[in-house]
Amino acid sequence: MSLFSLSKKIKKLKQLKKQAQQNQQPSKAIPSSLLDQINSIKEKTGNSIDVVIRKLQLGDSKGPDTAVVFVEGISDSKAINDFLIESIMNNHPSPNSRPIYDILFEKVVALGDVKEIKDWDNLYLSLMSGESIILVDGEKRALSASTRGGEQRSIEEPGSQVTVRGPRDGFTESIRTNTALIRRRIQNPDLWLENMKIGSVTKTDVSIMYIKGIAKDEIVEEVRNRLKRIEIDSILESGYIEQLIEDQAFTTFPTLYHTERPDMVAGNLLEGRVAIIVNGTPFVLIAPAVFIQFFQSVEDYYGRADIATALRFLRILIFFISIIAPAAYIAVTTFHQEMIPTQLLVAIAAQREAVPFPALVEALIMEVAFEILREAGIRMPRAVGSAISIVGALVIGQAAVQAGIVSPAMVIIVAITAIANFATPAFAVAISARLIRFGFMFAAATFGFYGIILGVIILAVHLCSLRSFGVPYLTPIAPLIPANLGDTIVRLPMWAQKKRPRLFSNKETRVGDNQKPQPPEGRGMVNDTLEKGDQDEQ
Amino acid sequence: MEKANISLYQLFVLILLFELGSAILVPLASDAKQDAWLAILFGMAGGLFLFWVHYRLFLYYPELVPPQYMQKLLGKIAGTLLAFCYIILFMYSAARVLRDFGEMLLTFAYLETPLFIVNALLMLVIIYAVSKGIEVVARTGELFFLFIYFLAITGFILILFSGLIDVNNLKPILERGILPVVRVFYTQTLYFPFGEIIVFSMIFPYIANKKKAKKVGLFAIGLSGINLAITMAINIGVLGVDLTARSQFPLLSTIQGIQVAEFLERLDVFFMISTVICIFFKVSIYFYAAVASTAVIFKIKEPSRLTYPMGMVILFMSVTIASSYAEHLKEGLEFVTRYVHPFFLILIPTLLLGIAFLKNRKKKSPQ
Repeated sequence: MSLFSLSKKIKKLKQLKKQAQQNQQPSKAIPSSLLDQINSIKEKTGNSIDVVIRKLQLGDSKGPDTAVVFVEGISDSKAINDFLIESIMNNHPSPNSRPIYDILFEKVVALGDVKEIKDWDNLYLSLMSGESIILVDGEKRALSASTRGGEQRSIEEPGSQVTVRGPRDGFTESIRTNTALIRRRIQNPDLWLENMKIGSVTKTDVSIMYIKGIAKDEIVEEVRNRLKRIEIDSILESGYIEQLIEDQAFTTFPTLYHTERPDMVAGNLLEGRVAIIVNGTPFVLIAPAVFIQFFQSVEDYYGRADIATALRFLRILIFFISIIAPAAYIAVTTFHQEMIPTQLLVAIAAQREAVPFPALVEALIMEVAFEILREAGIRMPRAVGSAISIVGALVIGQAAVQAGIVSPAMVIIVAITAIANFATPAFAVAISARLIRFGFMFAAATFGFYGIILGVIILAVHLCSLRSFGVPYLTPIAPLIPANLGDTIVRLPMWAQKKRPRLFSNKETRVGDNQKPQPPEGRGMVNDTLEKGDQDEQ
Repeated sequence: MEKANISLYQLFVLILLFELGSAILVPLASDAKQDAWLAILFGMAGGLFLFWVHYRLFLYYPELVPPQYMQKLLGKIAGTLLAFCYIILFMYSAARVLRDFGEMLLTFAYLETPLFIVNALLMLVIIYAVSKGIEVVARTGELFFLFIYFLAITGFILILFSGLIDVNNLKPILERGILPVVRVFYTQTLYFPFGEIIVFSMIFPYIANKKKAKKVGLFAIGLSGINLAITMAINIGVLGVDLTARSQFPLLSTIQGIQVAEFLERLDVFFMISTVICIFFKVSIYFYAAVASTAVIFKIKEPSRLTYPMGMVILFMSVTIASSYAEHLKEGLEFVTRYVHPFFLILIPTLLLGIAFLKNRKKKSPQ
C-alpha cells in the first residue's frame, strides 16, 4: 500500500511540473518579418538540406515577399511545383488591391486542404508531416497546404497472412492508404476515424477506426483513453502501442490482434471491434481480441461452412499438438509405458537403446536445435537459404539419429510439433505455444501425465483470467454465449450466423430472417415435371 | 465479498463437477450391496431438499453470504463462532478430498512419489486458480465440463462394447428389503456427496439470474445423482458386489478392464486426467468457500491474499490428518459422517432456516 501511495504522489508531482512547463513555454508566436521567419526555420531545423525554402515575389514589392517551405521526399513535389510555385509565379495581382495573404488563401493556392497556422509548434508539425508552409512578409500567420506524398511502397499481397481465395491487397506503411483500403470496403458514413499524434519525438499519426452504432461506445472510449494516456518518445510500429495498452502485461498470449489484411479489419469492424492504425507500419491492431479469433482465417468465411468448420477443428488440434506432443512423448516413455501397444513399445525401446540420454534431454536437444534452425531461417540472407535447409535436413534428421544422439521417434515428434506450429494461422499465438511447450516438457519429465494435466489446468485458468479491453478472453466459450457460438470452433453458414458478438457490439442482428437458400420445392421423387428455377435439358 | 457474476450455466457446471468430484472415485454406498445405486438416488433426494433449504435461506438474505446472515440470525458472537466452525469444516473437507486424491494417485501411478509432493502440486494449481477469483474458477469449469462429459460418455460406450457388464450382478434388487438401503442413505449418501452442497450458499449471491437458480441447482443435483448412480451400477455390474466393496477405487478397476479391438486398452491415464480435473474443482470450491468466509468474518479487503497461507494450511492438513489411508477412511466413515456431518450439514442449516422464517414473519406481521 505504501508503495502505491508513493507512486501516486510522484505522479501528482509530475503532473504539476508538466503544467508549470506548459505555462512557462507557450508556443511562440510567428514574427512578422519574412527574413526572421526564414532564419528561425533554418535555425530550428539545423539547416537540414531536405528542408527546402523557396522565396518568391507575388506583390509589387522589390524583394521576395512570400516563401514556400517544404520537406523534400515526404511531400508531393509535383503538386508543389504545379499548384503552389507555378501558381504564385503566374499570378500578378493588381497593385494596392487586398493583402497578399488573403489573395494567396482565396485565389492562388490551388490545393484542396489549406489551413491557417498561428504558432511555431503547429507550423513544424505540418511541415514535418509533409505539408507545405507558405510564409508571407508582414504577417504573423502562415498557410499550410496539404501536399503530403513522396515515395511509398505500393499495395502488395500481404506476406504474413496468405489465402487461396480472397482479396489480394494488403496494408502499406502509409496510414492514408490503409484507411482508404478499409473505407473502400465499408462505404458507410458511420465508419468513423479519429486521429491523434503519439510520441513526443516521433509525433506518429495513430488513428482509431470503428463503425458508430455497431461498436460499443464503452469500448471505443476505453481504447481512446488508453491511447491518450501513452507518454513515450517514439512509436515506430504498432507493437509499441500494443505493449502500452494491453490488459495484462505478463502473459505469453496476445490480447490484441494484428493483421495486414484490409478485409480482415473490415470484417472485425463489422463485428463491433475497433481498429488502431499506426502510420509507418502495415500491421493494424484490432481490439478487443478473443482467443478463438487467433484460430480463424479470413478464408473461413469465403469458403464453404462445413469445410471451414473442419479446418477450425484441425487448427485447435494443431494448437494442442504444438504444445503437448513432445511432453506427451516424454511422459509416455518415462512414466506410462503401459499406454503404448506392446509392439510399438518394443520398437521404441530398441531405438532408444543406443541413446545415452533420458527422454527429456533428448527432446530438449532436438527442440533447441530446431528452434535455432528456424531462427536462422528467418534472419539469414535469402541467398544462403538452400544451405540452411540442407544442413538442417541432414544434421537434424539423419546424422543425429545415426550418431546415436536422438532416436528416430523423437525426430518424428519434433517434426510434427514444428509443422503443427507453422500451421497455426496467427503467428502471435503460434509463438506463445512455442514457449509454453518447454514448460510442459519439464512438467512431463518430472510428473508424467499428472504434470501435463496440471499444466493444462494452469493454462486454462490463465486463459480464463485474461481479458481484452474488458472482454473475457475465452468468450463465447467461457463464459458461454450460445448465440455467438456459430463463429467459434464451428463456423455456421452465413445465413445461420444471425448475431454479432454480444459482449462488444450494439446492434446484434446481422442477417435477415429466412436467408437460407430456398430452391424450388418438390424436387426428387415428388414431381415428375420440372419447376420454375430448374434448368435442365428439356 | 468480491465483485463477480456467475451465470446459471456456470452454477450448473460447478455443482455437477463438485458433486461428481471425489464421490465418483470411492466405493460410494457399497454397504447397500447391489442396491448402491438406489441408496445414491435416495441421497440425491436428500440433496435436493438440502439445496432447497439453502436456497430459501438465501432468498431471505439475497445480498449476504452465510457468515453474514449467521451473524444476523444468531447475534454477532454466536454467528461468528458458527461461521468460524464452518471455515474449519470447509478446510478440513478440502484437505480430506485432497488426501483421497493423493492416495489414489500414489496407489496406481506414482508408487515412489511422496504424498506431500503430489498434494502440493495440485494445491499450488488450486491456489493459483482461487486467487484469481470465483469467476475464473467458474469459467475454467465451463471449459473443462464438456471435455469431462466427452471422456465419460466415451468411457461408458467403451465399457459397453467391451462386454464387461453383467446385469446379473445387480440382481436381486432389494434382496434384504428396503431397510439396509435406507440405513446407508441416512448414514452415508445424504452427507457425502449431497450434503456438501452447503458450500454453494457461499456462491449464491453472485448469481446473475436469482430466480432461475433454484431450478438449475435442483437439475444439476438431480443429474449428478443420476450420473453417480449409473457409475456405481456399472461398477457393480462389471466388478460384482464383493470386488466393488473391497476395491479402493472401483471406477479405476472398471476402466482398467476396458479392452476394445486390441488397441483401446490401458486407459488409466484418461481416468487420471478426468479425476485430476474433478478433484481440482471440488477442492477449489471448498477452498474458495473457506477463503471467502474468512475474508468476510475478519473483514479482509483482498481475499486473494489469504489464498497462499490458507492453501498451505490445507496442504499440511491433508498430509497430517491421518497416518495411513486406512486410518483416513476410518476417520471419514466413523467420525466425520457420524458426528460432524449430520450436525453441520443438516441440522444447523435447517435450524437457521427455521429462525429466519420466524424472524421474518415477526417483521412482516405488524405491517
